[in-house]
Amino acid sequence: MPSKETNVQENSKESSSEMEIDACTLKAMSSSPSEKIHLRPMTLFDIDDFMVWATDINVTRFCTWEPYTSREAGIAFINNFVLPHPWLRAICLDDDRAIGSISVTPVDNIRGEIGYVIGSKYWGKGIATEAVRLVGEEIFKEKPEMERLEALVDVDNVGSQKVLEKVGFVREGVMRKFMCLKGNVRDMVMFSLLPSDSLL
Amino acid sequence: MDLNESQPTVVVLSPPGRISLRPMILSDVDDYMVWATDAKVARFCSWEPCTSREEAIKYITDSVLTHPWLRAICLEDDRPNGYILIMPVDKIRKEIGYVTARSPRHPTGVIERALWTRYWGKGFATEAVRLVTAEVFKEMPEVERLEALVDVDNVGSQRVLEKVGFTREGVLMRNFIVMKGSIRDMVMFSFLRAY
Repeated sequence: MPSKETNVQENSKESSSEMEIDACTLKAMSSSPSEKIHLRPMTLFDIDDFMVWATDINVTRFCTWEPYTSREAGIAFINNFVLPHPWLRAICLDDDRAIGSISVTPVDNIRGEIGYVIGSKYWGKGIATEAVRLVGEEIFKEKPEMERLEALVDVDNVGSQKVLEKVGFVREGVMRKFMCLKGNVRDMVMFSLLPSDSLL
Repeated sequence: MDLNESQPTVVVLSPPGRISLRPMILSDVDDYMVWATDAKVARFCSWEPCTSREEAIKYITDSVLTHPWLRAICLEDDRPNGYILIMPVDKIRKEIGYVTARSPRHPTGVIERALWTRYWGKGFATEAVRLVTAEVFKEMPEVERLEALVDVDNVGSQRVLEKVGFTREGVLMRNFIVMKGSIRDMVMFSFLRAY
């Protein structure tokens, strides 16, 4: 079950209708055999797969954004948010098709916030757990200045709380009336992972 | 101590409830320096102790007088022994912060050990936080949550917030901020609007 997509800005002012092709070598991060998912940069070629999860109201329930209704809006999102993002990866199965995405967004110089979203067809298979674990294993090496990876999960989003606990994030507490989600003020559970923590 | 000594001529400390809040002004600079030069006061603050009156004047002019919401904490003589402030976090959240002097200003700038009078532990910060909390929820209808982040070692301020009725949320925010070059664990406290 998905957690909120972090810092999503749909009201992007810049418009770009050009296809930006990622010419870099796709850097695949492989998971343990049982889950068979890998992470790679997301591109505009992923637009149709993106629309599968981004239009699903079950997926967006705990996200700060409403389901997408047009392919143009999806393309704009990939151009304006995904491609410039400092650290965002598509979550892919063996066929390299994206079934979701995971990102680490800087909060300040030492803190990053993890967020992910996965198509509902792929829930219940441990995919989110594996994706979060992969990020937990790699992110502190890639970003040595990061001292804290945190996650904010809606109190009702029990599925994502379990994902983070399974990976080894520490549940720090419930931050009451912490965030406005779609017009409602929500209590959020704060989790953190430090470079010194052991993953489970 | 000689019991026949005359009473020290320091300010008699009034019980909590006898403080008032008002804007800081530049002529507060000498009272400001009492706490701003004190390393023990600065310990959990983001700033280093002040070293000169010129520095103090500059800081008050640039950072204190320009602050969107900052109040001097004053005793009966209307002179400040600290200040308290509110910072916006977002539309529904505000963060509270304060600093208070450890001891009263002394006319000669020297406090004899026998005359030492503590300001800390007398409830001034508690009363200031209580007043500000009430004012925030009264004057800012959009605010749902007032929060405070306290260094894990700052037990005094944790007690202040608990006495006012703030809730200690969770265990600890680990590696939460960099303070004077060190990465610190912080405790998050919050006070919600009562409907």
